[in-house]
Amino acid sequence: MIHSLNPTMKAITVILPAILLSFSFDIITPAIMFIYILILTFFFSKLNIKKWLFYFIPMSFFALGLAWMTMLYTDDKYATGPIVFSFFSFDIRMGSIIVSMSLALRSLCFIGLSLLFAFTTDPTKFMLSLMQQVRLSPKLTYGILAGYRFVPTFKHELDLLKKAHRIRGLGRAKGWRNRVEHMRQYFIPLLAGAIRKAERVAIAMESKGFTGSKDRTYYTVMKIKATDYLFIIIMLIILIIAYYVSYRLGTLNIFGHRIMP
Amino acid sequence: MIKSWRLKDIVLMSVLGVVFGFIYLGFFGVGKVLVAILTPFGFGPIGYELIYGIWFIVSIIAAYIIRKPGVAFTAETIAAITEVLVGSTSGPTLILSGMVQGLGAEIAFALTKWKNYQPRILVFSGVSAAFISFPYHFFVSGFHAYESWLIMTMFVIRLLSGAIIAGYLGKMLADQLAKTGVLNGYPIGKEVIARHEKSSTNF
Repeated sequence: MIHSLNPTMKAITVILPAILLSFSFDIITPAIMFIYILILTFFFSKLNIKKWLFYFIPMSFFALGLAWMTMLYTDDKYATGPIVFSFFSFDIRMGSIIVSMSLALRSLCFIGLSLLFAFTTDPTKFMLSLMQQVRLSPKLTYGILAGYRFVPTFKHELDLLKKAHRIRGLGRAKGWRNRVEHMRQYFIPLLAGAIRKAERVAIAMESKGFTGSKDRTYYTVMKIKATDYLFIIIMLIILIIAYYVSYRLGTLNIFGHRIMP
Repeated sequence: MIKSWRLKDIVLMSVLGVVFGFIYLGFFGVGKVLVAILTPFGFGPIGYELIYGIWFIVSIIAAYIIRKPGVAFTAETIAAITEVLVGSTSGPTLILSGMVQGLGAEIAFALTKWKNYQPRILVFSGVSAAFISFPYHFFVSGFHAYESWLIMTMFVIRLLSGAIIAGYLGKMLADQLAKTGVLNGYPIGKEVIARHEKSSTNF
């Protein structure tokens, strides 16, 4: 299951196809990848489909917006083939439609991979794994985790600030402009409070003997297992298959160069 | 690099990174609104270019406060990691683009050997972040398929956005924070104190 994979390896597995997919400007390659990502999402991870759709649908609108703009302003290199339809002063050619659909599908792949990662990874474990597998400095790792810890207290602090302001006679924000003005009033004190606390935590950590050296033991040990390698290898194989199928069908297009079998 | 940082430098970078990570996520929403307004005209992604500078701002703020090598890069990377951990839909690739942006901002400070933190260097840092990040997005987002005049327009808008939002606004925010006194243990705070003492001896 994807939940139990090592977070660092999972991140690599998600980043690799995202970069390698950037070379293709045809429909088939990203389409095959997208189908594979959907299979992973629906059958191999225990995530809540409703929650997934809640994030996926708005993001896919962005993909469509990107496709729309690409279609209207296609580079001459891609705007080939017969004119399919006209929109105001824009003549949309077959090539433009293909390249815009390709970019849209690529964005959908990115979105699918990202959601897969975000929904199946525990933030703290990701940091611990970065420290133990990528040798990120413990000083940095625990520093970041300590900073991250203050985020949940922000809401409470904000409530306190609001109440303090109201007791002193500052009214509630009415209207859009006032609300922006209020956000400015709250932002600096909130941040100042967090910085003050962070400095105290840093001093406390050092006074209790935290040196930040790499020579230390860990309470939670993160390991890389065979399944982690398997996951990354399968991902790459599917990517190669996607490129190969597209090549066989004669649709493969790398940076505007058609590559025929 | 890491050796020259004190633990409180790192924790401060982290707090700034985490806070701005959330702000960065929020600005994706702002970007989406701008895109929605501009999309019917076919200028969709330019919406993001207008506010692009916001995504470099933590580099400038952190570097301006802490004034050590690697701070601009690290703060930006932490912000990107936060976005991913909190659940950005761009996923781990965002960490990579955060690193590229942080590197871009860092270059400006590296050129002055991390000695000069005057306003023009801060603005230049915003511009260099924009300058470096653009080719990366050109590659990853497939700008290749756009017409060249549109790419140029996007590039110029991004440079301006980097200068104004990241450079200028970043400096303003850091100055406001320094005024509260919480940064007195950092170089920016010491500068504020020194300036204060100087002006008071004049009287």
